[in-house]
Amino acid sequence: MANPDPVPLAARYGARIEALAAALAREDENGFFAVLDEILQSRKPALIGELRDLTCNLQVALERFRLDARLADFAEKEIPDARQRLAHVLKLTDEAAHRTLDLIERSGPPAERTTKAIQALASPWKRFRERRIELKEFHELLKRMDAFLPTARADAELIRRNLNEMLLTQAYQDLTGQIIRGVIELVHEIEAALVELARLSGGEPGTAEPAAPRSSHGEGPAVPGITQGELAAGQQDVDALLSGLGM
Amino acid sequence: MSKDLKFLVVDDFSTMRRIIKNLLHELGYRNVTEADDGTTALPMLQEGDVDFLITDWNMPGMAGLDLLKAVRSDPKLAKLPVLMLTAEAKREQIVEAAQAGVSGYVIKPFTAETLKEKLDKILGAVAK
Repeated sequence: MANPDPVPLAARYGARIEALAAALAREDENGFFAVLDEILQSRKPALIGELRDLTCNLQVALERFRLDARLADFAEKEIPDARQRLAHVLKLTDEAAHRTLDLIERSGPPAERTTKAIQALASPWKRFRERRIELKEFHELLKRMDAFLPTARADAELIRRNLNEMLLTQAYQDLTGQIIRGVIELVHEIEAALVELARLSGGEPGTAEPAAPRSSHGEGPAVPGITQGELAAGQQDVDALLSGLGM
Repeated sequence: MSKDLKFLVVDDFSTMRRIIKNLLHELGYRNVTEADDGTTALPMLQEGDVDFLITDWNMPGMAGLDLLKAVRSDPKLAKLPVLMLTAEAKREQIVEAAQAGVSGYVIKPFTAETLKEKLDKILGAVAK
């Protein structure tokens, strides 16, 4: 280590070395060790300082090593895992949405069938209630009613079953929510590790230019608190903006 | 307006395509085909029998805005009605789409009424 002390070596040690040499020449053991102790004593604070620096460097190196190991773990295992977990979320939401759409599409026809059957029954029923129905039509009405009741019941039950199943399908929110929460936690850990890495590397945060978004590709749904720029508040806002442009 | 119109619905999410298709069916339009991005949609449009294009904006491959520009720069397709149905809600993007010649702009999430209203408006303008 360079000595910052501007006082020349000879001035600091010359007299003591001479005394040490003299004591040695005289075979004066007590005198020799007294001077040597004095010299060592004067060096003590510097030694302690050097030792402190060394320990500190060692600590940084150890922290760095621990951090490097953690980052390697992120890169090799946890980030690929997170990617797979998010892909699974995408699959689960896709399946749930399609399942729900299946059930909706399957509920349309029975609902429509019931509506049509009721419409067909309405006018003969009205004539019956007004006592204007002819006997032949009355028998026809009874026959239709006999057919309608079990069909309507079966259709209503089918729709109710479909609704129940739609209800259960919504459990995807719980499952995907848990997975997404785990990934948020991981992102948080990675963020902390990167901040730590920046600190150990002595980098200044926030000095790099953010990457420009590819606007022609779109940016996806706006996220509250994140998306920059002026957003349309809703369809009415869009319509007003477009009519302002002459559309 | 004829219910035989042929629609092309372009969105990278199959659930959204299915929702739009169902809504179109509900409105009486039964002739609906699908594509998952601009790259697959453009050749289908160039085949020449699509009457109405409904497209998302943010898609991998060719995005909706680029598809719109490609449509407008093709003399055979230049007059095709194009409805943008997208989550992109920035005012500058809406202006950009308008300048690129979009016929209508609906932001997600949307309602069946909004879709119907925009379709009727665009088809009404085309019929004039």
